[in-house]
Amino acid sequence: MTESVVRTLALGVTLRGRRVLDGVSFEARPGETLAVIGANGAGKTTLLRALCGLVAPSVGAVVAEAPGGVGYCPQHPRCAWDFTVREICRLSQHPSAAEGWCESLGGGSLLERRILTVSGGERRVVHLALALAAPAEPFGSLVLLDEPTAGLDAVRRGRVGDAVRRLASAGATVVTATHDLALAESSDRVLALSEGRMNALGPPDAVLSDDVVRETWGAGPSRLRR
Amino acid sequence: MTRGPSSVLIGLLLLAVAMAVAVSLGSAGAGWGEGGALAMLRAPRAAAAAAAGLALGVGGALQQGVFRNPLADPGLTGVFGGALLGAALLLGFAPEYAWDRAWHLPAAGFAGALAASLALTVLGSGGGAARLLLTGLGINAFAAAGTLLVASLRPGARETIANGAYGDWLGTSSPETVWLPALICLVAAAFAVRLAPGLDRISLGDEVARTLGCDPAALRRNAALLTALAAGAATCLVGQVAFVGLIAPHVARALTGPGHRRLIPLSGFIGATLLVAADTAGRSLPLAGTLPAAAVMAAVGAPAFIWIARSRDD
Repeated sequence: MTESVVRTLALGVTLRGRRVLDGVSFEARPGETLAVIGANGAGKTTLLRALCGLVAPSVGAVVAEAPGGVGYCPQHPRCAWDFTVREICRLSQHPSAAEGWCESLGGGSLLERRILTVSGGERRVVHLALALAAPAEPFGSLVLLDEPTAGLDAVRRGRVGDAVRRLASAGATVVTATHDLALAESSDRVLALSEGRMNALGPPDAVLSDDVVRETWGAGPSRLRR
Repeated sequence: MTRGPSSVLIGLLLLAVAMAVAVSLGSAGAGWGEGGALAMLRAPRAAAAAAAGLALGVGGALQQGVFRNPLADPGLTGVFGGALLGAALLLGFAPEYAWDRAWHLPAAGFAGALAASLALTVLGSGGGAARLLLTGLGINAFAAAGTLLVASLRPGARETIANGAYGDWLGTSSPETVWLPALICLVAAAFAVRLAPGLDRISLGDEVARTLGCDPAALRRNAALLTALAAGAATCLVGQVAFVGLIAPHVARALTGPGHRRLIPLSGFIGATLLVAADTAGRSLPLAGTLPAAAVMAAVGAPAFIWIARSRDD
């Protein structure tokens, strides 16, 4: 039995006087993909930020032991200066891996482009490549992707799903925060958040049941899947 | 556009040309004088302008890098203002210590610049361009008010302090007053280049930079320290000068791209060239008296500042 890479114990986070996360407890093991779902403002981004230490727990704890390294792709990727995509890949500690992931995600033609001239979706592809290439070693690494498919076309959404599975099969723990139900359905487990609390945690077909979906989003499944 | 190391050499070459012109031109006319006597008189001043310009250009590149903002300039965000206040306090209240040791005045400038630099880092970051620049403006105004207060409380130091505020200390350059601040400028610039990998990485945001092996807090602290060191020394040489730290990184970025490993030295050489050229122009233009380098820089820099601000989207 392998140890968990990341574990939270009754995690609560308060930001500017507002309880954003409350009593969140789960663990994720090497090779596991976990999708965090929930309505806007449910606490998904804060949970990811807490997992990699960008936000401190107000109560409870986060225990992360990722000897392989940590990768993080923020919800709103940005770059202050007009580097080329290849120059950005070279900022990674594993530049050839970053270029490789960029190509796998359908961004191979972007390498010589300047980052401030590419579209929002293409910029996300570049940042995803950096996050996927951040771990020194997939096994025992923790990769956190905040809305990795937002703004991406259908082909690239599929490639993100493939990349997540590929990394997980090499032993990485991949946690995504997503509104993309297809990505959630292809994950090993789904964690549903509602107003900062855990609504459900389990395999996709259980968590994405009509009742839980209704509780999580306050709307019927037919409205979501349409 | 050239992205190779050659662009840094071009910057060095430009500086060499500017220095050659600077020692050949002045209010006494063109030429080196008998036995190079005029050139020998002008050399410390040109060296002081070059060292200060180097520090200003590097300081600008550092500040724009850590704040991810092309409008940052230690001359506008109060760091040089803090340096001048530090120097003014020493000149006003302990003038006997200001000149007895070469390091006293740079140390006072460093202390003032460091206070301003830390205040800017704590109060001005994390809120976008507007918060940074407005905080810097406030710090600058506060430091200027303090400097004025010292000048009015200590009439004996009033003229010296006022000359510093006009950016007119280059006229008093002598080898004895120039060597140590110039050396500090060079050392600060050399250490600044070591921050280049971190500055490249935090351009992607602090969170991402952290996963790329950069510690943003340590980087900001080191950059604030080096900027203060450069500002303290540069202020002792020239007084208060704005816009060099704004324009030099901007020109350098256009020449060599955004990578800080080349941007920092090139920005330093361009800053040095700008200040030497501004000082030479101020000394040589057919005017009644000498125009301070700071005034020449402001005449060129203020329109550039507006142009850069207008070319931004946010």
